[in-house]
Amino acid sequence: MSEPSATVAPAATAWLEWHDLTVAYGRRPVLWNVDLTITEPCLFGIIGPNGAGKSTLLKATLGLVPIAGGSVLFWGRKLAEVRHRIGYVPQRETVDWDFPVSVMDVVLMGATSQLGWFRRGGRRERELARDCLERVGLADLAGRQIGRLSGGQQQRVFLARALAREADIYLLDEPMAGVDAGSQEQIFSILAGLRDAGKLVVAVHHDLQTASRWFDAVALVDMRLVAAGPTADVLTPENLNQTYAGRAGILDELGRAVARGKRTP
Amino acid sequence: MMPMLLLAVLLPYNTLVVAGGVAAVGCAAGVVGTLSVLRRRALVGDAAAHATLVGVAMALLVTGQRSLAVLLAGGLVSAIAALVLLVLIRRFTRTRDDAATAVVLSVSFGLGIVLISGMVARGVPGSAGLERFLLGHTAALTIGDATLLGIVSTLAVACVWLGLKEATMVAFDPAFAAAAGWPATAIDLTLVTLVAVMVVVGLPAAGAVLVTALVVIPPVAARQWTDRIVPMLIIAGGIGLVCGLAGVVISSLATRLSTGPVVVLVAAGCFVVSLVIAPRRGLLARWWDRPAAVPTADQQRLEQR
Repeated sequence: MSEPSATVAPAATAWLEWHDLTVAYGRRPVLWNVDLTITEPCLFGIIGPNGAGKSTLLKATLGLVPIAGGSVLFWGRKLAEVRHRIGYVPQRETVDWDFPVSVMDVVLMGATSQLGWFRRGGRRERELARDCLERVGLADLAGRQIGRLSGGQQQRVFLARALAREADIYLLDEPMAGVDAGSQEQIFSILAGLRDAGKLVVAVHHDLQTASRWFDAVALVDMRLVAAGPTADVLTPENLNQTYAGRAGILDELGRAVARGKRTP
Repeated sequence: MMPMLLLAVLLPYNTLVVAGGVAAVGCAAGVVGTLSVLRRRALVGDAAAHATLVGVAMALLVTGQRSLAVLLAGGLVSAIAALVLLVLIRRFTRTRDDAATAVVLSVSFGLGIVLISGMVARGVPGSAGLERFLLGHTAALTIGDATLLGIVSTLAVACVWLGLKEATMVAFDPAFAAAAGWPATAIDLTLVTLVAVMVVVGLPAAGAVLVTALVVIPPVAARQWTDRIVPMLIIAGGIGLVCGLAGVVISSLATRLSTGPVVVLVAAGCFVVSLVIAPRRGLLARWWDRPAAVPTADQQRLEQR
Protein backbone atom coordinates (compact mmCIF):
# COMPACT_ATOMS: atom_id res chain seq x y z
CA MET A 1 0.00 0.00 0.00
CA SER A 2 1.23 3.49 -0.71
CA GLU A 3 1.74 5.72 2.27
CA PRO A 4 -0.52 8.74 2.78
CA SER A 5 0.91 11.46 0.59
CA ALA A 6 0.59 14.27 3.15
CA THR A 7 3.36 12.79 5.28
CA VAL A 8 5.70 12.58 2.31
CA ALA A 9 4.98 15.93 0.68
CA PRO A 10 5.16 18.92 2.97
CA ALA A 11 2.45 21.46 2.21
CA ALA A 12 4.96 23.87 0.73
CA THR A 13 6.22 21.48 -1.96
CA ALA A 14 4.45 21.48 -5.30
CA TRP A 15 3.24 18.08 -6.49
CA LEU A 16 4.66 18.40 -9.95
CA GLU A 17 6.82 21.12 -11.46
CA TRP A 18 8.56 21.61 -14.78
CA HIS A 19 11.42 24.12 -14.89
CA ASP A 20 12.39 25.46 -18.31
CA LEU A 21 11.82 22.06 -19.86
CA THR A 22 13.11 21.81 -23.41
CA VAL A 23 12.86 18.66 -25.50
CA ALA A 24 14.24 18.06 -28.98
CA TYR A 25 14.06 15.12 -31.36
CA GLY A 26 17.44 15.23 -33.01
CA ARG A 27 17.94 18.89 -33.85
CA ARG A 28 14.23 19.67 -34.10
CA PRO A 29 12.93 21.19 -30.86
CA VAL A 30 9.47 19.97 -29.87
CA LEU A 31 9.02 21.79 -26.59
CA TRP A 32 10.52 25.08 -25.54
CA ASN A 33 11.08 26.27 -21.98
CA VAL A 34 7.98 24.86 -20.36
CA ASP A 35 7.67 26.32 -16.89
CA LEU A 36 4.69 24.93 -15.06
CA THR A 37 3.78 24.06 -11.48
CA ILE A 38 0.93 21.97 -10.16
CA THR A 39 0.72 22.71 -6.47
CA GLU A 40 -1.91 20.26 -5.29
CA PRO A 41 -3.94 17.22 -6.32
CA CYS A 42 -6.43 18.03 -9.05
CA LEU A 43 -7.69 16.90 -12.43
CA PHE A 44 -5.26 18.64 -14.77
CA GLY A 45 -5.58 18.77 -18.56
CA ILE A 46 -2.81 19.35 -21.07
CA ILE A 47 -4.51 20.78 -24.13
CA GLY A 48 -3.23 21.76 -27.53
CA PRO A 49 -3.37 21.01 -31.25
CA ASN A 50 -1.86 17.95 -32.94
CA GLY A 51 1.90 18.02 -32.96
CA ALA A 52 2.00 20.57 -30.15
CA GLY A 53 4.23 18.32 -28.05
CA LYS A 54 1.63 17.27 -25.47
CA SER A 55 2.60 13.60 -25.49
CA THR A 56 6.25 14.56 -25.61
CA LEU A 57 5.72 16.57 -22.44
CA LEU A 58 4.39 13.48 -20.67
CA LYS A 59 7.15 11.24 -22.05
CA ALA A 60 9.84 13.70 -21.01
CA THR A 61 8.24 13.90 -17.58
CA LEU A 62 8.56 10.12 -17.29
CA GLY A 63 12.09 10.03 -18.66
CA LEU A 64 10.98 8.17 -21.80
CA VAL A 65 12.51 10.76 -24.12
CA PRO A 66 15.72 12.63 -23.32
CA ILE A 67 15.43 16.14 -21.94
CA ALA A 68 17.53 18.76 -23.73
CA GLY A 69 17.29 21.24 -20.90
CA GLY A 70 15.46 22.04 -17.68
CA SER A 71 14.12 19.67 -15.07
CA VAL A 72 11.04 17.89 -13.73
CA LEU A 73 10.38 17.51 -10.03
CA PHE A 74 7.78 15.42 -8.22
CA TRP A 75 7.18 16.67 -4.66
CA GLY A 76 10.50 18.44 -5.10
CA ARG A 77 12.30 15.19 -5.90
CA LYS A 78 13.75 13.50 -8.94
CA LEU A 79 11.78 10.91 -10.88
CA ALA A 80 14.04 8.01 -9.90
CA GLU A 81 13.17 8.46 -6.21
CA VAL A 82 9.41 8.48 -6.70
CA ARG A 83 8.75 6.18 -9.66
CA HIS A 84 6.78 3.75 -7.54
CA ARG A 85 4.27 6.52 -6.80
CA ILE A 86 3.56 7.26 -10.45
CA GLY A 87 1.15 5.55 -12.83
CA TYR A 88 1.38 6.00 -16.59
CA VAL A 89 -1.31 5.34 -19.18
CA PRO A 90 0.29 5.40 -22.66
CA GLN A 91 -1.65 5.98 -25.85
CA ARG A 92 -3.77 3.00 -26.71
CA GLU A 93 -2.39 2.63 -30.28
CA THR A 94 1.14 2.10 -29.02
CA VAL A 95 0.62 -1.59 -28.21
CA ASP A 96 -0.31 -4.67 -30.19
CA TRP A 97 -3.81 -5.60 -29.03
CA ASP A 98 -3.43 -9.04 -30.60
CA PHE A 99 -0.87 -9.82 -27.89
CA PRO A 100 -1.73 -13.14 -26.19
CA VAL A 101 -2.73 -11.81 -22.78
CA SER A 102 -6.06 -11.52 -21.01
CA VAL A 103 -7.56 -8.41 -19.46
CA MET A 104 -6.55 -9.77 -16.05
CA ASP A 105 -2.95 -10.38 -17.23
CA VAL A 106 -2.56 -6.76 -18.31
CA VAL A 107 -3.88 -5.37 -15.04
CA LEU A 108 -1.63 -7.78 -13.13
CA MET A 109 1.32 -6.22 -14.98
CA GLY A 110 0.48 -3.00 -13.16
CA ALA A 111 0.47 -4.73 -9.78
CA THR A 112 3.61 -6.80 -10.38
CA SER A 113 5.50 -3.86 -11.89
CA GLN A 114 5.84 -2.68 -8.30
CA LEU A 115 7.52 -5.91 -7.18
CA GLY A 116 11.21 -6.73 -7.45
CA TRP A 117 13.01 -8.68 -10.14
CA PHE A 118 11.56 -12.12 -10.95
CA ARG A 119 8.75 -11.78 -8.42
CA ARG A 120 5.46 -12.73 -10.06
CA GLY A 121 3.10 -11.69 -7.31
CA GLY A 122 0.60 -13.78 -5.44
CA ARG A 123 -2.83 -13.48 -3.97
CA ARG A 124 -2.42 -9.86 -2.91
CA GLU A 125 -1.58 -8.80 -6.47
CA ARG A 126 -4.43 -10.83 -7.95
CA GLU A 127 -6.93 -9.33 -5.52
CA LEU A 128 -5.59 -5.86 -6.21
CA ALA A 129 -5.92 -6.40 -9.96
CA ARG A 130 -9.46 -7.70 -9.59
CA ASP A 131 -10.32 -4.71 -7.43
CA CYS A 132 -8.98 -2.33 -10.09
CA LEU A 133 -11.00 -4.14 -12.76
CA GLU A 134 -14.12 -3.65 -10.62
CA ARG A 135 -13.40 0.05 -10.40
CA VAL A 136 -13.28 0.43 -14.18
CA GLY A 137 -16.30 -1.85 -14.61
CA LEU A 138 -14.55 -4.68 -16.42
CA ALA A 139 -14.56 -7.40 -13.75
CA ASP A 140 -16.72 -9.72 -15.84
CA LEU A 141 -14.34 -9.52 -18.81
CA ALA A 142 -11.23 -10.48 -16.79
CA GLY A 143 -10.51 -13.64 -18.80
CA ARG A 144 -11.00 -12.14 -22.24
CA GLN A 145 -8.17 -11.66 -24.72
CA ILE A 146 -7.54 -7.92 -24.93
CA GLY A 147 -8.04 -7.70 -28.69
CA ARG A 148 -11.68 -8.68 -28.32
CA LEU A 149 -12.63 -5.49 -26.48
CA SER A 150 -14.07 -2.20 -27.69
CA GLY A 151 -11.87 0.90 -27.78
CA GLY A 152 -13.42 2.22 -24.58
CA GLN A 153 -12.92 -1.11 -22.82
CA GLN A 154 -9.28 -1.26 -23.93
CA GLN A 155 -8.71 2.22 -22.58
CA ARG A 156 -10.24 1.19 -19.26
CA VAL A 157 -7.93 -1.86 -19.13
CA PHE A 158 -5.00 0.53 -19.49
CA LEU A 159 -6.44 2.71 -16.75
CA ALA A 160 -6.90 -0.31 -14.47
CA ARG A 161 -3.27 -1.32 -15.06
CA ALA A 162 -2.15 2.13 -13.87
CA LEU A 163 -4.55 1.97 -10.91
CA ALA A 164 -2.96 -1.33 -9.90
CA ARG A 165 0.27 0.57 -9.29
CA GLU A 166 -1.54 2.32 -6.43
CA ALA A 167 0.15 5.53 -7.41
CA ASP A 168 -0.32 9.10 -6.20
CA ILE A 169 0.26 10.81 -9.54
CA TYR A 170 -1.36 9.49 -12.73
CA LEU A 171 -0.17 10.63 -16.14
CA LEU A 172 -2.50 9.76 -19.02
CA ASP A 173 -1.76 10.21 -22.72
CA GLU A 174 -4.93 10.87 -24.72
CA PRO A 175 -7.15 8.61 -22.59
CA MET A 176 -10.22 9.59 -24.61
CA ALA A 177 -8.85 8.90 -28.10
CA GLY A 178 -11.13 6.53 -30.00
CA VAL A 179 -13.40 6.15 -26.97
CA ASP A 180 -17.19 6.39 -27.26
CA ALA A 181 -19.08 9.06 -25.31
CA GLY A 182 -20.37 6.62 -22.70
CA SER A 183 -16.91 5.30 -21.88
CA GLN A 184 -15.56 8.86 -21.81
CA GLU A 185 -18.02 9.79 -19.08
CA GLN A 186 -17.10 6.64 -17.20
CA ILE A 187 -13.35 7.27 -17.50
CA PHE A 188 -13.69 10.93 -16.52
CA SER A 189 -15.66 10.03 -13.42
CA ILE A 190 -13.02 7.47 -12.39
CA LEU A 191 -10.39 10.18 -12.83
CA ALA A 192 -12.49 12.63 -10.81
CA GLY A 193 -12.78 9.93 -8.15
CA LEU A 194 -8.99 9.67 -8.01
CA ARG A 195 -8.77 13.44 -7.59
CA ASP A 196 -11.31 13.28 -4.77
CA ALA A 197 -9.18 10.60 -3.13
CA GLY A 198 -6.28 13.07 -3.05
CA LYS A 199 -4.41 11.97 -6.19
CA LEU A 200 -3.06 14.16 -8.94
CA VAL A 201 -4.32 13.25 -12.41
CA VAL A 202 -2.66 14.81 -15.46
CA ALA A 203 -4.22 13.96 -18.81
CA VAL A 204 -3.30 14.95 -22.35
CA HIS A 205 -6.57 15.82 -24.02
CA HIS A 206 -7.71 17.41 -27.26
CA ASP A 207 -11.46 17.98 -26.94
CA LEU A 208 -12.17 21.48 -25.63
CA GLN A 209 -15.80 20.80 -24.72
CA THR A 210 -15.16 17.91 -22.35
CA ALA A 211 -12.05 19.69 -21.13
CA SER A 212 -13.95 22.68 -19.81
CA ARG A 213 -16.45 20.36 -18.16
CA TRP A 214 -14.10 18.02 -16.32
CA PHE A 215 -10.70 19.56 -15.73
CA ASP A 216 -10.05 21.70 -12.64
CA ALA A 217 -7.06 23.30 -14.30
CA VAL A 218 -5.46 23.11 -17.72
CA ALA A 219 -2.31 24.05 -19.55
CA LEU A 220 -2.52 25.18 -23.18
CA VAL A 221 0.51 23.92 -25.05
CA ASP A 222 1.73 24.60 -28.56
CA MET A 223 5.44 23.76 -28.53
CA ARG A 224 5.65 26.16 -25.63
CA LEU A 225 3.36 26.90 -22.72
CA VAL A 226 0.66 29.32 -23.90
CA ALA A 227 -1.28 29.59 -20.65
CA ALA A 228 -1.98 27.60 -17.50
CA GLY A 229 -4.35 27.88 -14.58
CA PRO A 230 -7.97 27.21 -13.60
CA THR A 231 -9.87 25.91 -16.62
CA ALA A 232 -12.32 28.82 -16.95
CA ASP A 233 -9.51 31.38 -16.78
CA VAL A 234 -7.36 29.65 -19.34
CA LEU A 235 -9.83 28.61 -22.04
CA THR A 236 -10.44 32.16 -23.19
CA PRO A 237 -10.89 33.13 -26.85
CA GLU A 238 -7.54 34.97 -26.83
CA ASN A 239 -5.61 32.01 -25.44
CA LEU A 240 -7.32 29.50 -27.71
CA ASN A 241 -6.75 31.70 -30.71
CA GLN A 242 -3.09 31.94 -29.80
CA THR A 243 -2.79 28.19 -29.35
CA TYR A 244 -4.73 27.13 -32.39
CA ALA A 245 -3.79 30.13 -34.54
CA GLY A 246 -4.24 29.49 -38.21
CA ARG A 247 -5.63 25.99 -37.78
CA ALA A 248 -8.77 25.42 -39.82
CA GLY A 249 -11.91 23.91 -38.32
CA ILE A 250 -11.13 25.00 -34.81
CA LEU A 251 -13.27 28.15 -34.77
CA ASP A 252 -16.50 26.24 -34.40
CA GLU A 253 -15.17 24.19 -31.50
CA LEU A 254 -13.68 27.31 -29.97
CA GLY A 255 -17.02 29.11 -30.02
CA ARG A 256 -18.77 26.26 -28.26
CA ALA A 257 -16.06 25.94 -25.63
CA VAL A 258 -16.19 29.64 -24.87
CA ALA A 259 -19.97 29.57 -24.56
CA ARG A 260 -19.68 26.66 -22.14
CA GLY A 261 -16.93 28.43 -20.21
CA LYS A 262 -19.21 31.43 -19.64
CA ARG A 263 -21.92 29.25 -18.15
CA THR A 264 -19.57 27.72 -15.58
CA PRO A 265 -19.37 29.86 -12.47
CA MET B 1 4.41 -37.73 -34.58
CA MET B 2 3.81 -41.30 -33.35
CA PRO B 3 5.61 -43.05 -36.21
CA MET B 4 8.50 -40.70 -35.66
CA LEU B 5 8.69 -41.53 -31.99
CA LEU B 6 8.59 -45.22 -32.87
CA LEU B 7 11.44 -44.73 -35.29
CA ALA B 8 13.36 -42.91 -32.62
CA VAL B 9 13.04 -45.88 -30.27
CA LEU B 10 14.43 -48.20 -32.93
CA LEU B 11 17.53 -46.06 -33.45
CA PRO B 12 20.93 -46.89 -31.96
CA TYR B 13 21.86 -45.39 -28.58
CA ASN B 14 24.16 -42.76 -30.06
CA THR B 15 21.46 -41.48 -32.36
CA LEU B 16 19.00 -41.46 -29.46
CA VAL B 17 21.20 -39.16 -27.39
CA VAL B 18 21.74 -36.90 -30.38
CA ALA B 19 17.98 -36.90 -30.96
CA GLY B 20 17.42 -35.85 -27.36
CA GLY B 21 19.90 -32.98 -27.64
CA VAL B 22 18.55 -31.68 -30.91
CA ALA B 23 14.94 -32.04 -29.73
CA ALA B 24 15.87 -29.94 -26.69
CA VAL B 25 17.33 -27.32 -29.03
CA GLY B 26 14.11 -27.25 -31.07
CA CYS B 27 12.04 -26.94 -27.91
CA ALA B 28 14.14 -24.12 -26.45
CA ALA B 29 14.24 -22.31 -29.81
CA GLY B 30 10.43 -22.35 -29.85
CA VAL B 31 10.25 -21.02 -26.29
CA VAL B 32 12.82 -18.25 -26.74
CA GLY B 33 11.42 -17.50 -30.20
CA THR B 34 7.96 -16.94 -28.73
CA LEU B 35 9.18 -13.95 -26.75
CA SER B 36 11.17 -12.63 -29.68
CA VAL B 37 8.23 -12.93 -32.07
CA LEU B 38 5.95 -11.22 -29.54
CA ARG B 39 8.52 -8.43 -29.21
CA ARG B 40 8.46 -8.17 -33.03
CA ARG B 41 12.11 -9.08 -33.33
CA ALA B 42 11.64 -12.04 -35.70
CA LEU B 43 14.21 -10.83 -38.22
CA VAL B 44 16.92 -10.05 -35.71
CA GLY B 45 17.52 -13.77 -35.17
CA ASP B 46 18.00 -14.20 -38.90
CA ALA B 47 20.74 -11.58 -39.01
CA ALA B 48 22.46 -13.24 -36.04
CA ALA B 49 22.15 -16.66 -37.69
CA HIS B 50 23.74 -15.59 -40.95
CA ALA B 51 26.58 -13.97 -39.04
CA THR B 52 27.50 -17.18 -37.18
CA LEU B 53 29.53 -18.59 -40.09
CA VAL B 54 32.22 -15.93 -39.73
CA GLY B 55 32.76 -16.87 -36.10
CA VAL B 56 32.69 -20.61 -36.78
CA ALA B 57 35.39 -20.21 -39.43
CA MET B 58 37.46 -17.83 -37.32
CA ALA B 59 37.27 -20.13 -34.31
CA LEU B 60 38.80 -22.94 -36.36
CA LEU B 61 41.48 -20.66 -37.80
CA VAL B 62 42.45 -19.19 -34.47
CA THR B 63 42.33 -22.25 -32.22
CA GLY B 64 42.99 -24.97 -34.76
CA GLN B 65 40.42 -27.06 -32.91
CA ARG B 66 37.46 -28.70 -34.52
CA SER B 67 35.33 -29.40 -31.45
CA LEU B 68 31.70 -28.32 -31.70
CA ALA B 69 31.90 -26.30 -28.49
CA VAL B 70 34.76 -24.18 -29.85
CA LEU B 71 33.11 -23.61 -33.23
CA LEU B 72 29.78 -22.67 -31.64
CA ALA B 73 31.50 -20.31 -29.20
CA GLY B 74 33.04 -18.58 -32.22
CA GLY B 75 29.64 -18.47 -33.89
CA LEU B 76 28.13 -16.86 -30.81
CA VAL B 77 30.80 -14.18 -30.76
CA SER B 78 30.20 -13.18 -34.38
CA ALA B 79 26.41 -13.40 -33.98
CA ILE B 80 26.55 -10.98 -31.06
CA ALA B 81 29.00 -8.77 -32.95
CA ALA B 82 26.46 -8.54 -35.77
CA LEU B 83 23.72 -7.58 -33.30
CA VAL B 84 25.92 -4.90 -31.77
CA LEU B 85 26.60 -3.60 -35.28
CA LEU B 86 22.85 -3.48 -35.89
CA VAL B 87 22.27 -1.49 -32.72
CA LEU B 88 25.07 0.93 -33.65
CA ILE B 89 23.75 1.46 -37.18
CA ARG B 90 20.30 2.11 -35.76
CA ARG B 91 21.67 4.53 -33.21
CA PHE B 92 24.13 6.57 -35.26
CA THR B 93 22.84 6.52 -38.82
CA ARG B 94 19.53 7.24 -40.44
CA THR B 95 19.32 3.80 -42.06
CA ARG B 96 15.95 2.16 -41.56
CA ASP B 97 15.70 -0.92 -39.34
CA ASP B 98 14.80 -3.40 -42.06
CA ALA B 99 17.47 -2.07 -44.40
CA ALA B 100 20.10 -2.22 -41.66
CA THR B 101 19.11 -5.81 -40.86
CA ALA B 102 19.35 -6.79 -44.53
CA VAL B 103 22.77 -5.17 -44.88
CA VAL B 104 24.25 -6.79 -41.79
CA LEU B 105 22.73 -10.15 -42.69
CA SER B 106 23.99 -10.31 -46.26
CA VAL B 107 27.43 -8.83 -45.63
CA SER B 108 28.23 -11.06 -42.66
CA PHE B 109 26.92 -14.08 -44.53
CA GLY B 110 29.03 -13.26 -47.57
CA LEU B 111 32.09 -12.89 -45.39
CA GLY B 112 31.39 -16.22 -43.71
CA ILE B 113 31.04 -18.01 -47.04
CA VAL B 114 34.27 -16.49 -48.36
CA LEU B 115 36.12 -17.60 -45.22
CA ILE B 116 34.72 -21.13 -45.20
CA SER B 117 35.12 -21.82 -48.91
CA GLY B 118 38.62 -20.36 -48.86
CA MET B 119 39.59 -22.57 -45.94
CA VAL B 120 38.10 -25.67 -47.53
CA ALA B 121 39.80 -24.93 -50.87
CA ARG B 122 43.18 -24.46 -49.23
CA GLY B 123 42.72 -27.58 -47.18
CA VAL B 124 43.08 -25.88 -43.82
CA PRO B 125 43.23 -28.76 -41.31
CA GLY B 126 39.82 -29.54 -39.89
CA SER B 127 37.99 -27.40 -42.40
CA ALA B 128 36.56 -30.33 -44.34
CA GLY B 129 32.81 -30.43 -43.85
CA LEU B 130 32.65 -26.92 -42.43
CA GLU B 131 30.10 -26.08 -45.12
CA ARG B 132 27.67 -28.32 -43.29
CA PHE B 133 27.03 -25.41 -40.96
CA LEU B 134 25.21 -23.82 -43.88
CA LEU B 135 22.27 -26.17 -43.95
CA GLY B 136 22.68 -28.31 -40.86
CA HIS B 137 23.84 -31.86 -40.43
CA THR B 138 23.25 -33.84 -37.26
CA ALA B 139 24.61 -37.23 -38.30
CA ALA B 140 28.15 -36.34 -37.20
CA LEU B 141 27.16 -35.16 -33.71
CA THR B 142 28.75 -37.02 -30.81
CA ILE B 143 27.15 -37.79 -27.48
CA GLY B 144 29.24 -34.99 -25.97
CA ASP B 145 28.01 -32.53 -28.59
CA ALA B 146 24.41 -33.48 -27.96
CA THR B 147 24.86 -33.11 -24.20
CA LEU B 148 26.25 -29.62 -24.72
CA LEU B 149 23.29 -28.66 -26.91
CA GLY B 150 20.87 -30.10 -24.35
CA ILE B 151 22.44 -28.22 -21.43
CA VAL B 152 22.50 -24.88 -23.23
CA SER B 153 18.89 -25.36 -24.32
CA THR B 154 17.77 -26.20 -20.81
CA LEU B 155 19.49 -23.09 -19.47
CA ALA B 156 17.82 -20.95 -22.13
CA VAL B 157 14.38 -22.24 -21.15
CA ALA B 158 15.20 -21.64 -17.49
CA CYS B 159 16.14 -18.02 -18.31
CA VAL B 160 12.82 -17.47 -20.06
CA TRP B 161 10.92 -18.93 -17.15
CA LEU B 162 12.84 -16.82 -14.65
CA GLY B 163 12.36 -13.54 -16.49
CA LEU B 164 8.91 -14.19 -17.89
CA LYS B 165 7.26 -11.32 -16.01
CA GLU B 166 9.85 -8.79 -17.13
CA ALA B 167 10.00 -10.04 -20.71
CA THR B 168 6.22 -10.05 -21.09
CA MET B 169 5.86 -6.55 -19.66
CA VAL B 170 8.49 -5.15 -22.03
CA ALA B 171 7.25 -7.09 -25.05
CA PHE B 172 3.69 -5.91 -24.54
CA ASP B 173 4.32 -2.28 -23.65
CA PRO B 174 7.93 -1.10 -23.40
CA ALA B 175 6.87 2.48 -22.59
CA PHE B 176 4.82 1.39 -19.58
CA ALA B 177 7.63 -0.86 -18.35
CA ALA B 178 10.22 1.89 -18.74
CA ALA B 179 7.98 4.43 -17.02
CA ALA B 180 7.64 1.99 -14.12
CA GLY B 181 11.42 1.95 -13.81
CA TRP B 182 12.24 -1.34 -15.56
CA PRO B 183 15.35 -1.24 -17.77
CA ALA B 184 13.49 -2.00 -20.99
CA THR B 185 16.57 -1.75 -23.19
CA ALA B 186 18.61 -4.12 -21.02
CA ILE B 187 15.73 -6.61 -20.96
CA ASP B 188 15.50 -6.33 -24.75
CA LEU B 189 19.22 -6.95 -25.11
CA THR B 190 19.03 -10.00 -22.85
CA LEU B 191 16.27 -11.41 -25.00
CA VAL B 192 18.20 -10.74 -28.21
CA THR B 193 21.27 -12.42 -26.71
CA LEU B 194 19.18 -15.46 -25.81
CA VAL B 195 17.95 -15.57 -29.40
CA ALA B 196 21.56 -15.44 -30.59
CA VAL B 197 22.43 -18.35 -28.27
CA MET B 198 19.53 -20.41 -29.59
CA VAL B 199 20.44 -19.64 -33.18
CA VAL B 200 23.98 -20.83 -32.51
CA VAL B 201 23.04 -24.09 -30.82
CA GLY B 202 20.49 -24.58 -33.58
CA LEU B 203 23.24 -24.54 -36.21
CA PRO B 204 23.85 -28.33 -36.25
CA ALA B 205 20.13 -28.96 -36.60
CA ALA B 206 19.17 -26.41 -39.22
CA GLY B 207 22.25 -24.52 -40.40
CA ALA B 208 22.89 -20.79 -40.61
CA VAL B 209 20.54 -20.28 -43.52
CA LEU B 210 17.48 -21.93 -42.06
CA VAL B 211 17.87 -21.92 -38.28
CA THR B 212 15.80 -18.76 -37.97
CA ALA B 213 12.80 -20.89 -38.95
CA LEU B 214 13.19 -22.77 -35.65
CA VAL B 215 12.91 -19.51 -33.75
CA VAL B 216 10.04 -18.03 -35.74
CA ILE B 217 7.74 -20.71 -37.17
CA PRO B 218 6.84 -22.66 -33.98
CA PRO B 219 5.75 -19.47 -32.12
CA VAL B 220 3.68 -18.26 -35.05
CA ALA B 221 2.00 -21.67 -35.33
CA ALA B 222 1.47 -21.81 -31.57
CA ARG B 223 -0.20 -18.38 -31.51
CA GLN B 224 -3.02 -19.91 -33.59
CA TRP B 225 -4.01 -22.27 -30.82
CA THR B 226 -4.10 -20.02 -27.77
CA ASP B 227 -4.70 -16.51 -26.51
CA ARG B 228 -2.42 -16.82 -23.49
CA ILE B 229 1.32 -16.52 -23.29
CA VAL B 230 2.22 -19.57 -21.16
CA PRO B 231 0.27 -22.04 -23.31
CA MET B 232 1.85 -20.38 -26.34
CA LEU B 233 5.33 -21.00 -24.91
CA ILE B 234 4.48 -24.65 -24.25
CA ILE B 235 2.94 -25.28 -27.66
CA ALA B 236 5.80 -23.53 -29.47
CA GLY B 237 8.27 -25.61 -27.46
CA GLY B 238 6.38 -28.77 -28.42
CA ILE B 239 6.35 -27.94 -32.11
CA GLY B 240 10.06 -27.09 -31.99
CA LEU B 241 10.76 -30.40 -30.29
CA VAL B 242 8.98 -32.33 -33.04
CA CYS B 243 10.91 -30.41 -35.69
CA GLY B 244 14.26 -31.16 -34.06
CA LEU B 245 13.39 -34.82 -33.69
CA ALA B 246 12.33 -35.05 -37.32
CA GLY B 247 15.63 -33.57 -38.41
CA VAL B 248 17.68 -36.14 -36.52
CA VAL B 249 15.62 -39.10 -37.63
CA ILE B 250 15.78 -38.13 -41.30
CA SER B 251 19.47 -37.39 -41.00
CA SER B 252 20.21 -40.77 -39.46
CA LEU B 253 18.32 -42.55 -42.23
CA ALA B 254 19.90 -40.60 -45.08
CA THR B 255 23.31 -39.50 -43.84
CA ARG B 256 24.11 -37.36 -46.85
CA LEU B 257 20.99 -35.26 -46.46
CA SER B 258 21.14 -31.83 -44.82
CA THR B 259 18.83 -31.63 -41.82
CA GLY B 260 17.91 -27.93 -42.12
CA PRO B 261 15.47 -28.26 -45.00
CA VAL B 262 13.78 -31.23 -43.30
CA VAL B 263 13.42 -29.33 -40.03
CA VAL B 264 11.98 -26.32 -41.82
CA LEU B 265 9.55 -28.40 -43.85
CA VAL B 266 8.23 -30.11 -40.72
CA ALA B 267 7.87 -26.71 -39.07
CA ALA B 268 6.10 -25.36 -42.13
CA GLY B 269 3.74 -28.34 -42.01
CA CYS B 270 2.82 -27.57 -38.39
CA PHE B 271 2.36 -23.93 -39.37
CA VAL B 272 0.03 -24.63 -42.27
CA VAL B 273 -2.05 -27.10 -40.26
CA SER B 274 -2.34 -24.55 -37.43
CA LEU B 275 -3.25 -21.80 -39.82
CA VAL B 276 -6.08 -23.85 -41.25
CA ILE B 277 -7.61 -25.88 -38.45
CA ALA B 278 -6.88 -23.96 -35.25
CA PRO B 279 -10.05 -23.15 -33.31
CA ARG B 280 -11.22 -19.54 -33.50
CA ARG B 281 -8.14 -18.09 -35.24
CA GLY B 282 -7.84 -20.76 -37.94
CA LEU B 283 -9.01 -20.11 -41.50
CA LEU B 284 -11.71 -22.76 -41.23
CA ALA B 285 -13.04 -21.46 -37.92
CA ARG B 286 -13.07 -17.89 -39.15
CA TRP B 287 -14.80 -18.91 -42.33
CA TRP B 288 -17.34 -20.88 -40.30
CA ASP B 289 -18.46 -18.04 -38.04
CA ARG B 290 -17.86 -15.02 -40.20
CA PRO B 291 -20.72 -12.88 -38.89
CA ALA B 292 -19.83 -13.34 -35.21
CA ALA B 293 -16.10 -12.80 -35.72
CA VAL B 294 -16.07 -9.60 -33.66
CA PRO B 295 -18.86 -9.56 -31.06
CA THR B 296 -20.28 -6.14 -30.25
CA ALA B 297 -20.21 -4.78 -26.74
CA ASP B 298 -23.85 -5.82 -26.23
CA GLN B 299 -23.17 -9.35 -27.39
CA GLN B 300 -20.21 -9.52 -25.06
CA ARG B 301 -22.34 -8.55 -22.11
CA LEU B 302 -24.96 -11.17 -23.02
CA GLU B 303 -22.24 -13.77 -23.42
CA GLN B 304 -21.03 -13.10 -19.91
CA ARG B 305 -24.37 -13.92 -18.30
